[in-house]
Amino acid sequence: MTTTALVHVVVSGLATGSIYALVAISLVIIYNATRTLNFAQGEMLMISTFVGWSAHAALRLPLPLVLVVAVAAAAGLGWLVERLIIRHAIAATHFDVLIITLGLSLVLRAAAGLVWTHDEFPFPSFFGGRPVVLGPVRVAPVSLGIIGGSLGLMLALAALFRWTRLGRAMRAVAQNQRAARLMGVSVERVYSASWVLAAVVGAIAGVLIAPVIFLSSKMGLVAINGFTAAVLGGFGSLPGAVVGGMLLGVLENLAPLWLPAGIKHSVPFLLMIAILVLRPSGMLGRVRQRKV
Amino acid sequence: MSPTLTLEDVAVHYGQRLALDGVSLTVERGEIVTLLGANGSGKSTTLRAISGLVRPVRGRVVYEGRDITQAPADAIVAAGITHVPEGREIFPEFTVLENLLVGGHTVARRDVAARVDRAFELFPVLRERGGQLAGTLSGGEQQMLAIGRALMARPRLLLLDEPSLGLAPMLAAEIFRTIRRINESGVAVLLVEQNARRALRLAARAYVLETGRVAVAGASAALADDPRVRIAYLGFGRNAAPR
Repeated sequence: MTTTALVHVVVSGLATGSIYALVAISLVIIYNATRTLNFAQGEMLMISTFVGWSAHAALRLPLPLVLVVAVAAAAGLGWLVERLIIRHAIAATHFDVLIITLGLSLVLRAAAGLVWTHDEFPFPSFFGGRPVVLGPVRVAPVSLGIIGGSLGLMLALAALFRWTRLGRAMRAVAQNQRAARLMGVSVERVYSASWVLAAVVGAIAGVLIAPVIFLSSKMGLVAINGFTAAVLGGFGSLPGAVVGGMLLGVLENLAPLWLPAGIKHSVPFLLMIAILVLRPSGMLGRVRQRKV
Repeated sequence: MSPTLTLEDVAVHYGQRLALDGVSLTVERGEIVTLLGANGSGKSTTLRAISGLVRPVRGRVVYEGRDITQAPADAIVAAGITHVPEGREIFPEFTVLENLLVGGHTVARRDVAARVDRAFELFPVLRERGGQLAGTLSGGEQQMLAIGRALMARPRLLLLDEPSLGLAPMLAAEIFRTIRRINESGVAVLLVEQNARRALRLAARAYVLETGRVAVAGASAALADDPRVRIAYLGFGRNAAPR
């Protein structure tokens, strides 16, 4: 195996890893606010991407506008799901809400099948097909584009959480909901904002990855790897979600080089088992000291 | 002018358990009032009913003439009541400054910096620790942060739940001096405190709660001499009464 080939494998691993990281971030955003795991995250991503694609197909919209349409659809869908479904289960146990989102994921996937069929569709890419040559290494522009786009989004999210009132309120709610209420934070508004923000991050991930894995009603399954990434990093930690996603993407691409080719799809599960055995709080997770 | 706060016959249930059974009390403008009572008598629940953390099943909470009984907690903060809960409940993963900033969530953005300065003025140690994670502060510093954070919203009524709990006597005295300074700047205070003697010295009036009802009420000086209060809360048994 040459170094250049290795670089190529790592770069494309980082590209899929970026997508896993974005999906992991969207799961963590909702989890931090509401302590709920959203099993429908992948399907919400898929629907938003499909809506963008439909706008492209029907109106010949340019790609940046397709992204805007997908993001708007995601925001609306996230808001509706929280407002119409999750909000009513506010007194339910986490497990009940988990079952609700699991059911929602099945409904959304079936609905997408009815509207768009279960076929695969090519999705236009922001990035050209000619490889970028960096010295001896040739990398696909789509990989670099996905990595760059994801990093840009992550930086924007970091700024949001650090410097804006909404971001600070979201972090306050994650730490202590009752204390956040006593600061005048509307916890309901934070729930709403978290679902919208998570859906938007998912939609951007969807538009970035769809050209690579094709658009289909099954593309929501990427959420499984996003979930693994979040667990690897330490569920609840946003930097952990990024590190976990990148690591998963790279290992998934490297493993078939030395192990049987079929190993690729087992990598997330093997990694998840390994981390749960070795360090259950994840790589960057802190052991939460919950008050009794 | 209407009083700062009036509770009329407020009752609160926790599931099947009756926590408050018709509490009525008043806090006049600029006044310090203290709530005394044994553990479980309903002191903290009274504060929670005022700040909107629990909903009364009966009765009314009136703040400056407005009925806030059913108002959401965030609207109550915006209206001018902040609550420093028992155990401080600072945000441990935020820096000291971030804790203060989130305390200013309801304040106009252009006023936030001035509020932070005011909190630092009141508690200079917080300025030194501004960039430190709040979870690493000492108990006394955490209490100062909790009070400073509650002042960010520019309250006209401050609810304090056991501010001296777990603090060394020197620190507790400092906290009490600061409460007086805050009060002198025009903020009314409703204080729940286990150290009844100290609370009675600070407050103008006091209410004694027993199993969710007001058992005794009156001026602090009178209550400090009331035999029931002396025996139950000031540690004077009948036989141990000073001669």
